[in-house]
Amino acid sequence: MHNVLQQLVNGLSLGGIYALIALGYTMVYGIIELINFAHGDVYTLGTFFSLAILGLLGVSNQLHGTPLVIDVAITVIGAMILCGLVGVVIERFAYRPLRNAPRLAPLITAIGVSFILENVMQLWRGPSPVPFPQVFPNPAWVVGGIEIQAKQMMVILFAIVMMVALQLFIYNTKLGKAMRATAQDRDAAQLMGINVNATIALTFLIGSALAGAAGFVSGVYYQSTWFFNGFNAGLKAFTAAVLGGIGNLAGAMLGGFLIGLIEALANLFPNGNQWSNVVVFSVLVLVLIFRPSGLLGESLPEKV
Amino acid sequence: MKSSALPIRLLAVLCLSALLSACGGNGSSNGSNSAPSGDTIKIGIDLPVSGADASIGIPTQNGTVLAIEQAEGKGLPGGFHLKADALDDAVQGVHSPQQGASNTKTFISDANVLAMVGPFNSNVARAEIPLTNEAGLVQISPSNTADNLTKGPDAASLRRSNPDTNTYFRVCAIDSRQGLAAAQSARKLGFQKTYILDDNETYGLGLANVFETDFKQLGGTVLGHDHITKNQQDFKALLTKIAANHPDVVFFGGTSSNGGGEIRKQMFDAGLSKVAYLGGDGISDQQFIKDAGVTADGSYYTLAAPNTQKLPSAQQFVKDYQKRWNSQVGPYSASAYAGTQIIIAAIVKAIKDNHNKMPTRAQVLKNVAATKNFDSPLGPIGFDKDGDSTSPVISFWTVKNGQQAFVDQVKLKL
Repeated sequence: MHNVLQQLVNGLSLGGIYALIALGYTMVYGIIELINFAHGDVYTLGTFFSLAILGLLGVSNQLHGTPLVIDVAITVIGAMILCGLVGVVIERFAYRPLRNAPRLAPLITAIGVSFILENVMQLWRGPSPVPFPQVFPNPAWVVGGIEIQAKQMMVILFAIVMMVALQLFIYNTKLGKAMRATAQDRDAAQLMGINVNATIALTFLIGSALAGAAGFVSGVYYQSTWFFNGFNAGLKAFTAAVLGGIGNLAGAMLGGFLIGLIEALANLFPNGNQWSNVVVFSVLVLVLIFRPSGLLGESLPEKV
Repeated sequence: MKSSALPIRLLAVLCLSALLSACGGNGSSNGSNSAPSGDTIKIGIDLPVSGADASIGIPTQNGTVLAIEQAEGKGLPGGFHLKADALDDAVQGVHSPQQGASNTKTFISDANVLAMVGPFNSNVARAEIPLTNEAGLVQISPSNTADNLTKGPDAASLRRSNPDTNTYFRVCAIDSRQGLAAAQSARKLGFQKTYILDDNETYGLGLANVFETDFKQLGGTVLGHDHITKNQQDFKALLTKIAANHPDVVFFGGTSSNGGGEIRKQMFDAGLSKVAYLGGDGISDQQFIKDAGVTADGSYYTLAAPNTQKLPSAQQFVKDYQKRWNSQVGPYSASAYAGTQIIIAAIVKAIKDNHNKMPTRAQVLKNVAATKNFDSPLGPIGFDKDGDSTSPVISFWTVKNGQQAFVDQVKLKL
């Protein structure tokens, strides 16, 4: 039992990272029905941006007090802005020219952009893993024999705060309303005076900024990164978005946590680690077959 | 307006594709049957020299290149020139069997390549041996340790094109010895309970299985054995499970490029900070120390080669190496140097036997296979009928204050 609870904590923190990435997947899909395969690489780019900013700030290890808050805040916000801009650029040059092309075309450019980003990161920081400094002390609390580390709490809190903020933004602001309108019917939204291109660009900005935040969080959590990490993480986050119901923010969050839990709990079985990927992607297949709209997704009325 | 932009775009695409095809144009145009031309003899080198394997691959390559340069400096009989043809088998920073096979095909199709050094990793060797076996090109690996490359039905299946010919030789020890050395050293350090991990590759899985059997036979307890997956980033859940079993030592069969250092680092997040970490030569590289950072201390590893610095026969080599490369000798530099020397001696003998004419691959292969008591920095080397070294040595190392520290030359109790 103790083991199960400890794995739940591991699974939730792993799931928090997937959830942050899945939010971006699901937003982009919701608005232009494109699976943005480059999203996982934007996430890794977020870790590298964080690393670069920490380098500029001269941060090495274990900050305390005010410098901790200021430096970490600058790093997170900087990584989010940079990743957001990268997302906007990707949308402008790889997806917008193909907005009215057959669905397969932007999917292929998405894969192309993913390769470009991976290779740019490889050229930038080399093909081997890069260590990430431990920017803050990592105390652990023991509750009933279960150890919870500060960085695990951070991941989970980060994911939840981001999702709530996003939910508020989309349902309580004018821009959010424009996004929802564009998602429902692009042409009608345009007729109502919504700048559709700007709205879609905004979606990419926010989605990619979230990936940037996830990148920072994963750097702190694993204390290392590798240019190719985004590939696997992206696939799992995509699975999470589908599991939760693609296009649905709360669903992406739920899916992310569930995938993290499945992966961690697989270790309760002998040889579980080897099978965890099999289990995760079997879940993807099963969901696609039996509940294509996902756990929280509603089956949308047919678009004509 | 759209239609006017189209030709320009088309032009751009055409330019790009022309550029790409120009880049990819230097493929192998030589057929494998063309005769060697000129007076240049090449030795192919296939090692991982980029990414996470580079920290061990480059010093290994340096050893080979040094041997070739020295031989060229002295001059070959018949006025022949010796050249290194070095290719990288790492793709995206990790050794790749597919890339190794493709490099081997490049060597085979170049008639001037009479022998090759490499590969570094056992799973790459599995992809290459069938090719060199078919082409009759001799290869010497400085560091492949997996047993099934030379022994048993697996090895026979690698030689399926020419079952009676062996083209593959190695100067290092094999894993049935390395695993035993690791198990004996672990027991000697007082470790009673172990949990075993491996990276599911030819080398890692094989070594972990040998360690498991031998550790049990020496009276130790094996609490469990798990496999990690390719490109895995998160080991926390797995290590949490291991921590619940309270091992004295975690054994990892695998390479740094497959997560050896990351596992050690994450052990400290999973309540295993006081538990020792033991591996094979897969974590004998600087990349391991770089990845694990401060957590590298308290790790142990075996090396399927001697400690070159302590070996009287290797002192001249160490001096020459440091002078040429201005850096420290790597774990397998001397092995690569010795292997290359064997190849060069075989080529020289073949040239002489051939009355100073260009020798054939078959002649070089025959001479390498006949190697006995060859005087090298590792000491006298010979090959048995499987192509394995007749005088394998294993050394035991630890990491102290972020530096590799020699513990012992292992004398196996077989």
